[in-house]
Amino acid sequence: MFMEKPVKKEKKCYFCVNNINEIDYKDAQTLRKFINSYMKILPKKRTGTCAWHQRKLATAIKRARVMALLPFIRR
Amino acid sequence: MSKVKSSDISHYELLYFIPNKFTEEEIKPMIEQVGKIITNKGGNITLTEEWGKKRLAYPIKNLGYAYYILVEFDSEGGKLKEIDRALRMMSEIFRHQIVVKKVKSAEEIKKAKEISKKIAVREAKEKEETLCQKEKPKKKEKVDMEGLDKKLDKILETDDLL
Repeated sequence: MFMEKPVKKEKKCYFCVNNINEIDYKDAQTLRKFINSYMKILPKKRTGTCAWHQRKLATAIKRARVMALLPFIRR
Repeated sequence: MSKVKSSDISHYELLYFIPNKFTEEEIKPMIEQVGKIITNKGGNITLTEEWGKKRLAYPIKNLGYAYYILVEFDSEGGKLKEIDRALRMMSEIFRHQIVVKKVKSAEEIKKAKEISKKIAVREAKEKEETLCQKEKPKKKEKVDMEGLDKKLDKILETDDLL
């Protein structure tokens, strides 16, 4: 069995690079980058966000969901 | 919210939405009412922003659209529960959310500016580097082309001789 090795790509935290300390839950467009097509929050392994920002991102996405800015599930 | 001291005055951010079944004219008194609720509890409204009609990410009570309104205000932490309750009593408001908003101090703003400057410089450098990388191979190609032409000429000359 041959398993193709995944292409390693250097990932950087989007919020660290752009110097964003407070993640705004009202900004649904940027939050959308961090959820998949099933509307689940993507792991930091996938997006490259650092642990500190990942925690803030998760709360922001959850807040946005409550206010119907982001969906809970795919339609 | 439970950690907030009752006497501390801090900055809060309220986002709520009113369903689409009301017209925009009907909504205006509702916005005023929300403002009154906050001011009556000793709050000081600093900003009200109407986002207008927006599509909800999922239907709520079989309605797909709502008017979003954002309010920023300063208030005592202890009064927040009362404001929250009063807003919950308003049947016109579908949902609302009050979030603590950090007010940036002058030092923090300074730092952020410095960092953003550094980022800008770094991006400019990266752009230059990428441009240089793009230009270099072009020059090489030109030289190569000239060399090739000469070589071709030589070959042609030799061909003629033969």
